Amino acid sequence: MEFAELIKTPRVDGVVLHRPFLPTVEGTLCLTGHHLILSSRQDNTEELWLLHSNIDSIEKRFVGSLGSIIVKCKDLRVIQLDIPGMEECLNIASSIEALSTLDSVSLMYPFFYRPMFEVIEDGWNSFLPEDAFKDLESMTDEWRLSEVNKDFSVCPSYPPLVAVPKDIDDETLRKVATFRHGGRFPVLSYYHKKNGMVMMRAGQPLTGTNGRRCKEDEKLINATLRPGKRGYIIDTRTINVAQQAKARGGGIESEANYPQWRRIHKAIERSNVLQESLIKLVEACNDQSHNMDRWLSKLEASNWQTHVKEILTTACLAAQCIDREGASVLVHGTEGTDTTLQVTSLAQIILDPSCRTIRGFQGLVEREWLQAGHPFQQRCAQSAYSNSKPRQEAPVFLLFLDCVWQILRQFPCSFEFSESYLVLLFEHAYASQFVCRLFLRQLHKTVSLWSWVNRHQEIERLTNPLFEANSLVIWPSVAPQSLLLWEGVFLRWNRSSKCLDEAYEEMVHIIEYNKELQNKVNSLRRQLAQLETEDPLLQTP
Amino acid sequence: MCIMRQGHKEELMEFSEHIKTANVEDVVLHQPLHPPSRGTLCITGHHLLFSDREENSTRQILLLLRNIDAIEKSVENLLGYSSLFSKADYSKRISGSSGTITVKCKDLRVLQLDIPGMEQCLNIAHSIETLSCLNDVSEMYPFFYRPSDLSSQDQWGLSSSEKYYSEHKELHKRWRLSSVNRDYSVCPSYPPAVIVPKDIDDDTLKKVAKFRQSGRFPVLCYYHRKNGMVIMRGGQPLTGANRKRCREDELLLQAVIDSSDKGYIIDTRSSQQVQQARMTGGGFESKSSYSCWKRLHRQMEKGKALQESLIKLVEACGDESQNMDRWLSKLENSKWLSHVQTALSTAGLLAECVERDGHSVLVHGSEGTDCTLLVSTLAQLIMDPCCRTLEGFLALLEREWVQAGHPFQLRCAHSAYSHVRLQQESPVFLLLLDCVWQLWRQFPLALGFSEALLLRLATEAYFSNYGTFLCNNDQERCALGVKEKTYCLFHSLLKPTEKEHYTNPLYEPTDLAIWPSVHPQSLQLWRGFFLRWTPQTRHLEEAQEEIRNMVIEWGKVALS
Repeated sequence: MEFAELIKTPRVDGVVLHRPFLPTVEGTLCLTGHHLILSSRQDNTEELWLLHSNIDSIEKRFVGSLGSIIVKCKDLRVIQLDIPGMEECLNIASSIEALSTLDSVSLMYPFFYRPMFEVIEDGWNSFLPEDAFKDLESMTDEWRLSEVNKDFSVCPSYPPLVAVPKDIDDETLRKVATFRHGGRFPVLSYYHKKNGMVMMRAGQPLTGTNGRRCKEDEKLINATLRPGKRGYIIDTRTINVAQQAKARGGGIESEANYPQWRRIHKAIERSNVLQESLIKLVEACNDQSHNMDRWLSKLEASNWQTHVKEILTTACLAAQCIDREGASVLVHGTEGTDTTLQVTSLAQIILDPSCRTIRGFQGLVEREWLQAGHPFQQRCAQSAYSNSKPRQEAPVFLLFLDCVWQILRQFPCSFEFSESYLVLLFEHAYASQFVCRLFLRQLHKTVSLWSWVNRHQEIERLTNPLFEANSLVIWPSVAPQSLLLWEGVFLRWNRSSKCLDEAYEEMVHIIEYNKELQNKVNSLRRQLAQLETEDPLLQTP
Repeated sequence: MCIMRQGHKEELMEFSEHIKTANVEDVVLHQPLHPPSRGTLCITGHHLLFSDREENSTRQILLLLRNIDAIEKSVENLLGYSSLFSKADYSKRISGSSGTITVKCKDLRVLQLDIPGMEQCLNIAHSIETLSCLNDVSEMYPFFYRPSDLSSQDQWGLSSSEKYYSEHKELHKRWRLSSVNRDYSVCPSYPPAVIVPKDIDDDTLKKVAKFRQSGRFPVLCYYHRKNGMVIMRGGQPLTGANRKRCREDELLLQAVIDSSDKGYIIDTRSSQQVQQARMTGGGFESKSSYSCWKRLHRQMEKGKALQESLIKLVEACGDESQNMDRWLSKLENSKWLSHVQTALSTAGLLAECVERDGHSVLVHGSEGTDCTLLVSTLAQLIMDPCCRTLEGFLALLEREWVQAGHPFQLRCAHSAYSHVRLQQESPVFLLLLDCVWQLWRQFPLALGFSEALLLRLATEAYFSNYGTFLCNNDQERCALGVKEKTYCLFHSLLKPTEKEHYTNPLYEPTDLAIWPSVHPQSLQLWRGFFLRWTPQTRHLEEAQEEIRNMVIEWGKVALS
């Protein structure tokens, strides 16, 4: 196998493992093509199985001939391996370095992973655009499913099937695609049942400095408006950034050419700025000094919470345009693969109760992130500990999850899933044995994360015991005072959550016991009613 | 709730001179989390009463005037603009003017009253201003409050030194109950009975009292059953600039520990502050005179600094600028969380000395009525499972705060909104509740009471129907007959109907010490209190309510 040449020392005995909150373990360390395994070779002690792709960076330290490797993971955990023998230690370290930065997707673990669980439901077929469209068809006949992109030639980052206005033919779509960044012509993202308004997303229009226009583009987006109605274009960039984009061929929808649309600019940060923010935040969280002021200023300096607030505010704005103003909305930024998706997916969580169920949320992530072409591979290549220069990395998806967590925290009864579900998605976005981030075209070779999640045992762990279906629109508070640091991710390995977990279990127990008792009461009532009808003596004592 | 009864006529007479307008119709009330409502406003000697007459339902809002921290009024004469108004505003045109009173409460709620008529508005504002800061304790509402479901024959209070002593038989060998302070002459801020070492007689105690600030000689406040170690608390020794000594004081401390053993003194001031205190007559236990005792210094903020911190924090919480950086830097600037951290870590240090190192500890600062009590209370919660039940916690508060002489009257006269020049105000008790909340959050199973209890106590300390937090010490309470003439808050909280609300449904007692994490990352703003009136916390309360209802429901099912 190709991996063999990268592994000089596949096995070392007498390695000591230090992990957060767990006692140290001494055992044998093995390196395989995809995993780092440490086993004490005794029964009932936990083994460590770490995917190489979960490793963000490593540090080596030597004291005499005892070497230590500090492994910093993408899920923000830090572990330490004490390895006797300097040569072994150096070999292991260089193998980890090489194996954890493999670039070729098809060498990655999901292509080798064979599930130990029975795949009862093929996650790849659970959320097909065709099925989503069937729902839409039952509500409106204004849209059609276009196959214009079936060989990915019109827009490489779109799925083969997309929903577009009925009156727009494929030829028009092809022309519009040449006018939008990355070929991302406006497509339907969400249909608001209550008032028939829609949310669309796209790439920026390629107007350039000389104000190029595209009649077909105008026709397409105007086709989504009701007669006499106006729509909103939410541009996730500031007006300055958008104007500057013209010099590089991009641009904005001018008022002259799109008189029925009102443009609103918001300032959501992207790419490097976000990655740096994450790095600073994680550094602040790991700061061991007992200084309260320092912690709060570092938290502030990381700007992470500001990003959360900006994204949520923009999503609320989009939702408000649709629900309160009764207007349709087009969302885009530059490429339309990052901030755009944050806004469209969060707006749906606010507006659409079905997105707040476990399956509905899976469908949302599938539609708005995987099929909509968020470049997971590039964005999640490195996490907060990496020493290599960031290129395309940006925690866009993590920020989305953080925003969902903020809404979940503010509406603890309105979501069918619990925080663990969001944490799970975070882990798998960065390092997974399942495919949720790889390219769609290669899907048939791998197992979908949804197949695993949707098994009964997993569903139970990820379910919110307080859930009570809430059919209303939920408006989160975006005041800075209302937004919290997501401890479940950022302080997960610094603070033991043992007591909190126990309390959570206790709460689940109470709720289950309550259900049981209610069932008992109901069956007794039924029995009583039955006895009363059967035995007339009881009624006339 | 009944507010006016026959017996209250006298009350009304006394206060009537401050009330020029007792009733105003057509007032609009704006309060957080509710839509504005129109109704009648009444002002009585102790209350502001708003009744909503819009529909058939008469919703009433009763606000204790003592709850009002500050008011702001703005009046405008509308005559000049009368042409702008339609017929619907006829009544306004007649009165020709209107006014708005913004009422800022000590429970951090902000209400707004739109009152038609400038004169009425000014009258109401004047009455509120005067009646909300009456200083005469005997005229306060607890002396007039007569709940139908409590009898005045009920015993007052839950705990006392006597009770503590009789419950802890292990104490009897080496400790005794002294009534040297039975007439409050030795130490005005101590209760009549205190627990002291058996070998120390009352005469010695009298001499020691002269050597300690405010006569607060070291007394026992906690006995650690596991290893027999104790926590003592007192005032600072009055060594002064020329390093005065007191043989009796040294004897007393020696009697606390066996001659072979050693003890710790935790001083809640820095070593620099301690040196400065000598210039003003205070001081510390020198190594040479107290050779068996090791002194540890932890600087804890109190007094004005703490009050200013609260004011800044509340201002930050009310900031509506929607700017994340500004919020975080304001939160940091307020330093409130730093105070929480210091208090918890000092308490942790104290508990560590007793539980882990197995030594007795004496705690004091200057007066021994603020930070000293904060630290000793928290340490007991950390170590002693008995203090973590609802009853146990209330008893602890009664012993360590009410009877130990925390000057509630002075400290809680005003809260964060007041414009009055600060005197002795300081939110030490609120800081304690915040620290307890942090414990509660980190150990959701270990404490038998709910956040609702902490919220209730945080407001009761500032304004109350009950007499528990009146006055500054036992002596004052005795002089005014508080125990005879008012009702006890703690008993009312333990009534079956109330108790349900204040117990933690998840409670599972543990015998272990609960060691809080004091990393800055582990401490959070107490949103339930400080952001109580912002809309979003309501959903969290609803979720908690959900669980509580379930527990209550299955309690009923189990009974039937």
